[in-house]
Amino acid sequence: MDMNYLELLKLASPEAIVVATALAVLAVGLTSKNAPVLCSTVGVLGLILAAAEVFMLPFNATLFHGMLVISPLASLFKVICLTLAFFTVILARSDRSSRHHGEYLALLLLATIGLMLLVGSEELLMIFIGLELTGLALYVMTAFDKTDIRSAEAGLKYFLFGSTASAFTLFGLSLVYGMCATTGLAAIAQKLVAQPLSPLLAAGIVMTLIGFAFKIAAAPFHLWAPDAYQGAPVSSAAFIASGSKVASFVVLGKIVLVGFGPAHGSAAWHAMVAGWMPVLAVLAALSIVLGNLVALAQSNVRRLLAYSAVAHAGYTLLGLVAGGREGFSATLFYTTVYAFTLVGAFGVVALVRRETGGDDFVNFSALWSRSPLLAGCMAIFMLSLAGLPPLAGFFGKFYLFSAAMRAGENHGLLWLVALALFGSLISLYYYLIILKVIFSEPALSEVERGHQNLEHPGQPRGRLREGGDFLQRTTVAVLAIAVLFFGILPGALLARIIAALP
Amino acid sequence: MPPFLFWFFALMTLGFGAGVIINRSPIGSALSLVLSFIGLSTLFLSLNAYFISVIQVLVYAGAVMVLFLFIIMLLDLRAEERRKINVVAFAGGAAVALALFVQVYRIIGALGAARQAFPPLRSGNTDDVRRVGLLLFANYNLPFQIVGVLVLVATIGVIVLSKRELR
Repeated sequence: MDMNYLELLKLASPEAIVVATALAVLAVGLTSKNAPVLCSTVGVLGLILAAAEVFMLPFNATLFHGMLVISPLASLFKVICLTLAFFTVILARSDRSSRHHGEYLALLLLATIGLMLLVGSEELLMIFIGLELTGLALYVMTAFDKTDIRSAEAGLKYFLFGSTASAFTLFGLSLVYGMCATTGLAAIAQKLVAQPLSPLLAAGIVMTLIGFAFKIAAAPFHLWAPDAYQGAPVSSAAFIASGSKVASFVVLGKIVLVGFGPAHGSAAWHAMVAGWMPVLAVLAALSIVLGNLVALAQSNVRRLLAYSAVAHAGYTLLGLVAGGREGFSATLFYTTVYAFTLVGAFGVVALVRRETGGDDFVNFSALWSRSPLLAGCMAIFMLSLAGLPPLAGFFGKFYLFSAAMRAGENHGLLWLVALALFGSLISLYYYLIILKVIFSEPALSEVERGHQNLEHPGQPRGRLREGGDFLQRTTVAVLAIAVLFFGILPGALLARIIAALP
Repeated sequence: MPPFLFWFFALMTLGFGAGVIINRSPIGSALSLVLSFIGLSTLFLSLNAYFISVIQVLVYAGAVMVLFLFIIMLLDLRAEERRKINVVAFAGGAAVALALFVQVYRIIGALGAARQAFPPLRSGNTDDVRRVGLLLFANYNLPFQIVGVLVLVATIGVIVLSKRELR
């Protein structure tokens, strides 16, 4: 095949810029005295440059039979992944514990490259390498806080579960490759049209889906999530919950809807047909029930967010089970909105943790009187996650549920929609508990707070300091405004997503 | 390949292969295995199988054995060295091995095919290293480069996580 290195460099220029930025950040981190500020600046500039470069790309192009695809959808989600990385870089500056800031940001940027490749590839080999690149960087980022034993535990758990899931994915993908003799998604679909669902193909599909269920933390493959969300440095947890999830949903959607398209089966009530749809439907149902019920019993905000993430993975899968353009666009809209909401929520957690040394409910009590801004933003994030209008989460859920209702004949997915509505109702309760703690509980007495601060002596008490973390506060506020904006004008994002879908 | 080189490397492969079992120290065993692999890769080389020969050294002697050595050194296995040889078990094992050898020898001897001269090997002119290289640098160029980024991630991760923090 003729290939031109210059053309490759041109089409992969956003990724190349991020690689160069990662190397620059690494070098700056090793040499500079004022590393944290300088590294973040370089990182942020690189991400902005890469996002600008995405807009410079041609409208449609494909390289190496789909290994690198430039399409409106890929470009849109590359920009979204870069934006999420941008916010995470800013949030990462409030992590005191990370001593090797240059290395941390370099890993974050390298993980972003993995996300961009996942979003911009329609070929199994590239998808697997993208998954591994992202995963490997995230494992290290999870275990990065060496002063905290829980971070190491979280990293190890994430790594062990993750590598097992990767093995499953690779096994599944190689079975599919064995049956189709091609790794391009479109070509696989062509081969599958002529084939009935053989046991071998079913095994391949199920194993592939297991790997992705791990990535999106769908039950019963969610066991790593609570520990990773709670133990990892806050910015790592934010990136795992946002960027990694968005890219995983995009690529999962492409694999099942484009690649495995002909083997879809049906998840309709009393009319189940074998295929990937019933598998995803079962994953969704389990995630919604388990995530919401277990979240009720949590007393740590990050752990609660982890279990609610399991439930949200379940809701998001509804769009894929519904299938088609409408379902996929609902999934993409929801996962994007959810990612921005979670980055914001983790931003609040990071600031509260920095102040009070913990992220249990106790540390959030009477946040309202200490910092009205953070309390207000947290209220917006929690209510959006619960799905109340006029916030973005409401419209996300609305599109998902209506897509699932309309899918198939005879409202076959009604059972799943009913389950999801029931789950949302439960979730309202625990989100409101957080808000109750923030708004109506009396402030901790000075004695109790002193006890809380034993772990991190020397930190100022009382009111959250208004200076110093100005950037983080602004980021959180911007994210809250974005969640409000996408709730009032959901079309601004949804129209773009629908227009980008082929 | 001149016959004396073949004999040299064949004996090297077998001799160090035996060394893996005979050696009392796990590290000695692992190093014997590395040398045995190098002998084997040279035999592949003499059959014009350049790619397999290189991969044998890179993957087995290089990566896998170094991993073994790391694990042996990390776990600090000393029990094997201290264990005394049980004479009865040794004699029994030797007898079983001898019986098996005689059996296999007699069975192969009974087959007609074993009496005929070995047909000369076709000289392989397949340019395998070149073909793999072309594929790697043309069709699979992008994944190849991304794997480079992946290795960078692993390197940074190992250094950061394994370094002892000064307080």
